[in-house]
Amino acid sequence: MSEIHPRINEVLTETFKVPAAEIVPEATMDSLEMDSLAVAEFAVIIKETLGIDTDSDTLLKGATLAEITAFLDDAAVSVGR
Amino acid sequence: MTQRNGTASGREPGQGAGPVAVTGLGVVTPAGADERAFWAGLRAGRSVARRREELAGIPVDFACAVDDLDVDAAVGGRSVWRMARFVKLALIAARQAVADAGLDPAAWEPGRVGVVLGVGVGGVSVLVDGALKLREQGPQSVSPLLVPMMIPNAAAGEVAIALKAQGPSLAPVTACASGATAIALGRDLLIGGQCDVVVAGGAESVLTPLVVTAFARMGALSTRLDDPASASRPFAADRDGFVLGEGAAMVVLEREADARARGRAPRALLAGAGASTDAYHPTAPEPHGRGAQAAVEAALRDAGWSAYDVQHVNAHGTSTQLNDAMEATLIERVYPHRPPVTAPKGVVGHTLGAAGAIEAVATVLTLEHGVIPPVANLDAPAVEFELDCVTKECRRQRVETAISHSFGFGGHNVALAFCRA
Repeated sequence: MSEIHPRINEVLTETFKVPAAEIVPEATMDSLEMDSLAVAEFAVIIKETLGIDTDSDTLLKGATLAEITAFLDDAAVSVGR
Repeated sequence: MTQRNGTASGREPGQGAGPVAVTGLGVVTPAGADERAFWAGLRAGRSVARRREELAGIPVDFACAVDDLDVDAAVGGRSVWRMARFVKLALIAARQAVADAGLDPAAWEPGRVGVVLGVGVGGVSVLVDGALKLREQGPQSVSPLLVPMMIPNAAAGEVAIALKAQGPSLAPVTACASGATAIALGRDLLIGGQCDVVVAGGAESVLTPLVVTAFARMGALSTRLDDPASASRPFAADRDGFVLGEGAAMVVLEREADARARGRAPRALLAGAGASTDAYHPTAPEPHGRGAQAAVEAALRDAGWSAYDVQHVNAHGTSTQLNDAMEATLIERVYPHRPPVTAPKGVVGHTLGAAGAIEAVATVLTLEHGVIPPVANLDAPAVEFELDCVTKECRRQRVETAISHSFGFGGHNVALAFCRA
């Protein structure tokens, strides 16, 4: 398990008040009621805390949390975390 | 000169264009985050100002904050992330007011419900945080929500969303009179027939180092650093400035006939409202209170009252030298019968855009309970003031009619005339 996964959970539950029970690997931003502005803000927080640039459109386009986590894991490796 | 009800206009109170009823109250203040706690705090007459960690190291490090409430939990839902604190306080107060009015947003006709929410400054901390991030971390660190979160009308917009209120919504900005302006405009929307229900009031939260520093540098704030709780002392000879506060208050307004038709007794009537502008100076009041007097006289005319009908004045009373001197002169001249005066800012500090609404709620509670709360930290008004200020403890007195004054930077003056229902 990477460090990314718990960090995403934390941002979703603490900042965006997503109930923990909804945060499952197959969830999408859409299913978590994260609209385009929320996803854009999510991207800012990820950049701020993990130093990873994300394309919020990618996150919006039906990617699951599992896929988003995998993307961030890869990106974290490439930024040397 | 001494005529009672039935004045030059021949109208009884509230008959101007149909009485408007106050049917619900909501308050989130440093002295209490609901009506009961707020009223208890006002009656106790003790300032809630205290030193704030987040203000450490700046010229004035104390303020009146809403501490006794988990604000995010009270707002609930998933949208708190996109709300600045003033919006959250407004939303909590608005929900309280609507519940108190016995109204159900799921059942009302959305297009007939208006929201008028006065704010003096808005989400300045959002702006400051964004500016610092832009400078230190670059454009990608700036929240895409910065603008919609900081604009003063964000509160009106979020309250409208939460209440599904689809009638007109407005966010009047008249500095420290904003909350009172909002209530006056809410009354207009009802009288003009644009709405059947208006949720009106004010909200503010700017207890940030930048804003406190700016007010301090202007000389507006009390500098009683050694004893913050004694700093806000409206009408005292040794007053030296106001204490910054935060909060929100909302009222539900309906035409009285509509309220009674749905079986709801008004908590009070908003009998009249008046406004004027000093057109004199950006921050200083016109020292003789001539501009403010015009607002009071307009409210009296609107209510169909003579000045002698006014049994109580809920003063703007900021604890600054200039405001309190002007307002004392105004009260002495306009109400020569010396009605009892109170000034809630002694307890809750100066909540800027929320103040007029918080004081409107206080005025309604005085009418309901027959209790005038004391001015905090005041043993007696300055000797040059011929005022009957309520001091030290509550005065029990049946009050039929009361006026609440609100004045703001920019020279805005508002007077609201309330009477018992």
